[in-house]
Amino acid sequence: MPKRRDILAIVLIVLPWTLLITVWHQSAIAPLLAIRKACHHLVKEIFIIPERLAVHHHRLSDEGAEGRREAGGQDSKEYCASDKDIVEVVRTEYVYTRPPPWSDVLPTIHIITPTYSRPVQKAELTRIANTFLHVPNLHWILIEDSQRRTPLVTSLLRETGLNYTHLNVETPKNFKIRGDTRDPRIPRGTMQRNLALRWLRETFKNNSQPGIVYFADDDNSYSLELFEEMRSTRKVSVWPVAFVGGLRYESPKVNAAGKVYGWKAVFDPHRPFAIDMAGFAINLKLILSKPQAYFKLRGVKGGYQESSLLRELVTLNDLEPKAANCTKA
Amino acid sequence: MFIIFYYTYIEIGKHLYFSALGTNHRCFQGDSLWGQHCDCAEHDLPKDRAISRLQEELYRLQEKKQPPKSSLSTIFVITPTYARLVQKAELTRLSQTFLHVPQLHWILVEDSPRKTPLVSNFLMKSGLTYTHLNVPTAKERKLQEGDPSWLKPRGVEQRNEGLRWLREDRKTEPGDNGQQGVVYFADDDNTYSLQLFEEMRSTQRVSVWPVGLVGGMKFESPVVEGGKVVRFHTGWRPSRPFPMDMAGFAVSLRLVLANPDACFDGEAPMGFLESSLLKGLVTADELEPKADNCTKVLVWHTRTEKPKMKREEALQVQGLGSDPAVEV
Repeated sequence: MPKRRDILAIVLIVLPWTLLITVWHQSAIAPLLAIRKACHHLVKEIFIIPERLAVHHHRLSDEGAEGRREAGGQDSKEYCASDKDIVEVVRTEYVYTRPPPWSDVLPTIHIITPTYSRPVQKAELTRIANTFLHVPNLHWILIEDSQRRTPLVTSLLRETGLNYTHLNVETPKNFKIRGDTRDPRIPRGTMQRNLALRWLRETFKNNSQPGIVYFADDDNSYSLELFEEMRSTRKVSVWPVAFVGGLRYESPKVNAAGKVYGWKAVFDPHRPFAIDMAGFAINLKLILSKPQAYFKLRGVKGGYQESSLLRELVTLNDLEPKAANCTKA
Repeated sequence: MFIIFYYTYIEIGKHLYFSALGTNHRCFQGDSLWGQHCDCAEHDLPKDRAISRLQEELYRLQEKKQPPKSSLSTIFVITPTYARLVQKAELTRLSQTFLHVPQLHWILVEDSPRKTPLVSNFLMKSGLTYTHLNVPTAKERKLQEGDPSWLKPRGVEQRNEGLRWLREDRKTEPGDNGQQGVVYFADDDNTYSLQLFEEMRSTQRVSVWPVGLVGGMKFESPVVEGGKVVRFHTGWRPSRPFPMDMAGFAVSLRLVLANPDACFDGEAPMGFLESSLLKGLVTADELEPKADNCTKVLVWHTRTEKPKMKREEALQVQGLGSDPAVEV
């Protein structure tokens, strides 16, 4: 008959090992279980992480950052159900609306786009957003010509994933285009652009972040090189614009010293700045330093809208020609 | 010996104790074996570890230009194009949309006897996976200056050339993998949302969806009941076998390869171009409705205004036209 001492010895040997094995097994499973529970939260975090790390400056959007990524179309439940390693999830998941990561060194390009309701509005905004999604450090200021911010634009902006500000101001009826869209006496989008300028001045009053301001209409086409050309603007930079003013392209005239001395345009080339809205960009500092400079609303002759702003900001001599000394459209 | 066992027992006892308290208290895992009673709300170690692993993964992914080649099936987009003033602008904007879509192969077919340098250079700089083809439209089939756009069907030879190339190319890629894909006919002046391409990727035979701003309507769309297309909502010639626009459907590559004679019929009456291809491939009840049972508009049949060149023409008469060396 085994002695009690031996039984005790065996128990004391076996018991710790069985307990040890049980604990190891449990400690392997518990984190996995925890991860599964956290998975739903984490899948959302996958999308939010780049934004949190990336965006530094003030953003005036009414919806918080959480709303932006959810409309990516992925259901977190699909991915969290499996026991697969979470890293797998990140690999197979494709986030198709994602702007490039925010950079600390690039100046922000603030794009001011007035828009108004018409059948092609959603199409135009969709395709211009597809363009903007390629540009790093881009901040889109979209101003609606409406009494209230429309749900169409609100949800479109949210789904793109872009860094945006959504404003609105309604042009009074007596200023609006009366049927004839070609009537140049009534400036389109002026109040909206001015509102954006005012917003910029209020937001960046005490902020010395470098930035460039560009007025982009929602129906134009932009190459990606353009945005990189304008990033180095010190005061106001200019370049050619195609299919404007009845020409293949309008362009500033640049002399051998790299200075602008005139305008290659046929429609009133003696305007102080015979350039289209899409043909110039302004450094944010200049905008902030001249708080009275706005687009003139009343009494502006056709084609002089750009001049009404630019002449308050800069002289011809200060213009910086881009696009290989204004030889590329 | 007893002492050794005693120590082991105490250790295990501590582990058990803490794990028994629930999965929240995981502070002991990792470095600290002795279970320091830390503020566990802060130190959720496995979750932190998972998050930092994910962050590393994300940074790595963001550095790559495109996501790694995955099991996504390739979308072959066939686009006919022709030289006109706005061609470069249209192609630029279109390429900016396509650059967001993974596993997309752009088959651009020029209506021209030779490949033009404008398109060749553009494609080279675009960063897309592409195939550059060209085939000229016969003179009698071409729209003349002043002809309304609906008079003759456009892009027929070019789309057929795209299909022919695709069939040839796939012969060199045997096996099931080479047969996986979706074929979509995209015109260079339409507007495509990125969601559309994800919807069409799962096409088994022919998938359909609404198209905005086409046929004189806010949108044209298949009408879906019980997950099947029962009729079409359109204002023009609804009696057509497939009364929809080129942008409103996609065909699986398998189906295209299985029917080597299926192509567009240039002689078909106005509006029957799409039907001339589809009737040889599928029946109406086999169509797969996408875009939330055809309730969302993800593509718009936008048209681009012809730019006014009055002043250019006036200058050219005087010999002072815009520098032709500047590519527009």
